Amino acid sequence: MSAVEPETRAHGSAPVHGMSLACRDVGFSYQEAQTPIAALREVSFELAAGRSLALLGASGSGKSTLLQVVRGLDLPETGEVLLDGAVAGAAGYDGLQKQVGLVFQTPELQLFASSAREDVAFGPSRLGWSEDEVAAAVDEALDLVDLPPDRFGERHPYALSGGEQRRLALAGVLAMRPRLLLLDEPFVSLDPATRRELARILARLRAAGVTLVLATHDVDLAWALCDELLLLDHGRVAAGGAWDLGDAGRDLLAASRLREPFLVELWRRLGRDPREAPRTYAEAAEALA
Amino acid sequence: MRTTIAQYYPGDSPIHRLDARAKFVAVTALAVALFVRDSFAGLAVFAVAGAVAYVLSGVPAAWFWRAFRPLLWLVGLTFLAQILFAPAEDAFASWWIFHVSWQGLSFAAFLSLRLLVLVLIGSVLTLTTQPLALTDGLAWLGRPLRRLRVPTDELALMVTIALRFIPTLLVEVDQIMRAQRARGADFGSGGPVKRARALVPVLTPLFVLSFRRADELALAMEARCYRPGIVRTRLHPLKAGVADAVLLSVTAAVIAAGLLI
Repeated sequence: MSAVEPETRAHGSAPVHGMSLACRDVGFSYQEAQTPIAALREVSFELAAGRSLALLGASGSGKSTLLQVVRGLDLPETGEVLLDGAVAGAAGYDGLQKQVGLVFQTPELQLFASSAREDVAFGPSRLGWSEDEVAAAVDEALDLVDLPPDRFGERHPYALSGGEQRRLALAGVLAMRPRLLLLDEPFVSLDPATRRELARILARLRAAGVTLVLATHDVDLAWALCDELLLLDHGRVAAGGAWDLGDAGRDLLAASRLREPFLVELWRRLGRDPREAPRTYAEAAEALA
Repeated sequence: MRTTIAQYYPGDSPIHRLDARAKFVAVTALAVALFVRDSFAGLAVFAVAGAVAYVLSGVPAAWFWRAFRPLLWLVGLTFLAQILFAPAEDAFASWWIFHVSWQGLSFAAFLSLRLLVLVLIGSVLTLTTQPLALTDGLAWLGRPLRRLRVPTDELALMVTIALRFIPTLLVEVDQIMRAQRARGADFGSGGPVKRARALVPVLTPLFVLSFRRADELALAMEARCYRPGIVRTRLHPLKAGVADAVLLSVTAAVIAAGLLI
């Protein structure tokens, strides 16, 4: 069980002007040897700048595919992805796409350089920034993920612990200063303390104004971190928009083999209105005091 | 993402059902006969045999073509090399050190056709036999070598594991390339040196991952009591039947016909 406590300090990161995201009837299928497999069907949703979205759904429901399509690594077969209201092909769309950060599942697998600093610098140095700008972005990103550059900058990535590697890989994406950050199962195979640390970092990014899309199976962290949800079922949108915490919402989550968030269930069991359930333990303690 | 590597086409034709060992022996014998015999007539016999086997296998032409196409380069190169480097006598066209003669042309055509027939016969084997069945069959055929202390079962296991992990590694490569591309990596442009350098961010993680995987697999195998050098029983024992005897008899007849005609 884990929940995220709000963090008020800005932690050295300047406010970010988040990017808005919208999908209109996005469809995508994988071309397998004999039959194509539909991974996304008519997926539509809107996410305003600076908002955070929990992308939920059973394994194989299309979460990873959707993130890759939004980042432009796969092109949608039907429909379109709008970044700040612009469609693919519009002037400036490529530039917008570069401001979309995607943190892959187990991103520590992509570490390759011989020092933490060098690995984090890989992305920003490909954006055509000056050396000073890159160095500043690298230090800022390392700070953001709680790997102080003076202590960790010269360490070999493979000499770090699993949790540190995960945060380093996140820094590699943050250094490109994304305005929209997509995360694919960022909490997988982390111990509870590391999960909480990572959740704190994400809360920090959210507070700074970065638009977040968080694909996860952890509904409690999703509840704590995300304003809205998008529930995928076999590539289709089963529910979208604000969290619906009534019985219908609970049943929808159950249909995707998910439980409702712990604090929502607690409120229900206490005989209170689950729609007014708190997001954090601090809020819960205050409400119950 | 394309993860079908070997050309195996899943099916249930008479050719698919044959024992891997019988198919391997038949193909090897045909290949040897093909190279012993040097007349167009003999070639025709083997070509017909290969074509009949292919038709019986029920493999769609498109699938066959996909496996076949890359090899056409080889055939084309052989043809060109044979024409151009034939001896200079009775050449009807010459340029610099190249001479084209009727003899050279006919010899080139013969060699290319022989290669095509070989590829056709070999393809029928690989299109209708699962790679794992093939390695199992090879391990069985190599058993006499165990007396010479050749670790045939271990070699077969190595090949099996290698084959098993090729699709896994391809998926892995795809994921790593996507991740690095999302970080701005560019794999498609620049000269050969630049392209090779662009692969460092892919190859380093891939090697680290492969070694880790190998280490874990070795431990897991030991934990499940794998010990090298011990004769293991099989979950799917190889079974040879009447059909395989028929295959070998027909093959012998085809070879006799091909060599004598």
